[in-house]
Amino acid sequence: MHIPSCQPHKVEYVSGKVFFTTCSDLNMLKKLKSAERLFLLIKKQFPFNVSSVNKGKICNEMQRLINDDPESWLNTISIWKNLLELDAKKKRLSQRDANLLKRKMGENDTVITKKLKAEQMQKTQENREYQLEKQAEEETLAQGNFLTSREKLQLEECQNEAAEAAGTPSQNDLTFRVSCRCSGAVAKTFSAQEVGRIIGIALMKQFGWKADLRDPDVEIFIHLNDIYSVVGIPVFRAPLASRAYIRTAGLRSTVAWAMASVAEIKAGALVLDPMCGLGTILLEAAKEWPDAHYVGADVSDAQLRGARDNLKAAGLEDKIALLQVSVVELPLPSESVDVIISDIPFGKKFKLGKDIKSILREMERVLHAGGTVVLLLSEAHCRSLTDGEESSIPSNSEGRRTDEPGAEKCLIPEGETGTSETVPPSLEASNQECLPKIPPFGSLMPVECYKVSLGKTDAFIYKYKKSHSSGL
Amino acid sequence: MKLLTHNFLSSHVKGVGPRGFPLRLQASEVRIMPVEFNPDFVARMIPKVEWAALVEAANTLSLGEVPTEPIQGYEQNEDFLRTMHHILLEVEVMEGTLQCPESGRVFPITRGIPNMLLSDEQTEA
Repeated sequence: MHIPSCQPHKVEYVSGKVFFTTCSDLNMLKKLKSAERLFLLIKKQFPFNVSSVNKGKICNEMQRLINDDPESWLNTISIWKNLLELDAKKKRLSQRDANLLKRKMGENDTVITKKLKAEQMQKTQENREYQLEKQAEEETLAQGNFLTSREKLQLEECQNEAAEAAGTPSQNDLTFRVSCRCSGAVAKTFSAQEVGRIIGIALMKQFGWKADLRDPDVEIFIHLNDIYSVVGIPVFRAPLASRAYIRTAGLRSTVAWAMASVAEIKAGALVLDPMCGLGTILLEAAKEWPDAHYVGADVSDAQLRGARDNLKAAGLEDKIALLQVSVVELPLPSESVDVIISDIPFGKKFKLGKDIKSILREMERVLHAGGTVVLLLSEAHCRSLTDGEESSIPSNSEGRRTDEPGAEKCLIPEGETGTSETVPPSLEASNQECLPKIPPFGSLMPVECYKVSLGKTDAFIYKYKKSHSSGL
Repeated sequence: MKLLTHNFLSSHVKGVGPRGFPLRLQASEVRIMPVEFNPDFVARMIPKVEWAALVEAANTLSLGEVPTEPIQGYEQNEDFLRTMHHILLEVEVMEGTLQCPESGRVFPITRGIPNMLLSDEQTEA
């Protein structure tokens, strides 16, 4: 998906976040598919140095996030308010059937937006964003990280209501809530609550804002770890990952979309998901690449019922056909499918009577030569595919992993796509070891591999291409 | 199940091979569902269609005049594309059966979804 940018800029991404500038409006931003959440950046700087155990000193440094440069805070807040007002205006105008406001944010505004747990890679010089998987743990509004001291303060509800009645609140009447995530060295000295409290109090002192736990005007999001200290405002109330068009999500929509995007779906292709479950992958794919014929298959009545509901709710019943068949006995002629995308179920919940090899064999059979297979595999699947030869998967943390469960992902494209130019060399080097080296499977040649986090576990997006060898 | 989908299916009963195509269609409930016409998409599907199978299925459903092969220059022929669009995408078999022509095995179509499981291995909810 192409996000228009008004000036040449560098897209920077660091372990789970992508920082970019844009002058797109909210509607465009809402279409970002592979990011969990979107934030407007207030501050990004080096991590706090906690080697000296002087808490007081670090406390001061945290306060300086606000006090050193209150302007940037106020600027960002007004940009954010403008974005929302613009969006609200558009909605009102379009309802009245008038022309939509064409005015964007203004070419001179640098709106630096941060995507939490997202990755982008620039394939061409024209800034064509090629989005690969982004993953991290489920980003709720970090309910557990509230400042407990907030509860002692008076909640100015009446003031809130008055402000809302009057329209958007002025800068001084803003209510806020701080959500904080800490990991790495900082987390050993400070708890998320403590940091939240420090920041919250500093905000009150600097700007006179009041705290509101339940329904603040602004949410301030702080993420501190060993790599950076980042502060931002969430742009939307709901995470980007929760899609309006998916009623019941199975696999995370961001991972599903990412899998579809590496699958090279061309117009007129026959795309199969032979273990479609609730159909999340097919929904994401059909939504973004509507000119293909999609087929979903599953053995379970219940899953197919859920899938049918999802298709109906998304208005995509005409694009996606459903079959009740088994992935190892596909009623399809050999070499009839162009693309296969599948989330291979893992965990004890799924009684996979067949092993991964027989699944792959059947996939290989129905695939056209030159066709693509994109699979989501667990570490266990990878192990059985490498047949126990040199297990290159470290069993636990290594290098960049921090205490955060599932917050990291190595994004290392291997193979011929040549997208690795934009990967900073340090990232590549330190993360090569995380990737399982899966051998070719018959005529299926591995092309790329991406590690993703699904929250509690990690998984791998594996892409194969079927070679044009004879004898199949 | 649309006729476009039916056109891709073949029998996977053990030992049947290429004689497992096409699956004989029988329908007890058919719905006509309007689908937005996308001439590009239809044009791309045409070369993939197995015509004999399509004609046979369409005749079983009494769909009337069905082209028996693509017309010359079909990509630009809107009438032809619209006809094919209707046959391939707008006819939904809701209830019926699919039969393997070689082994005779019958698979049910329920609420638009063909059940072609060979063994009793559905995971029930």
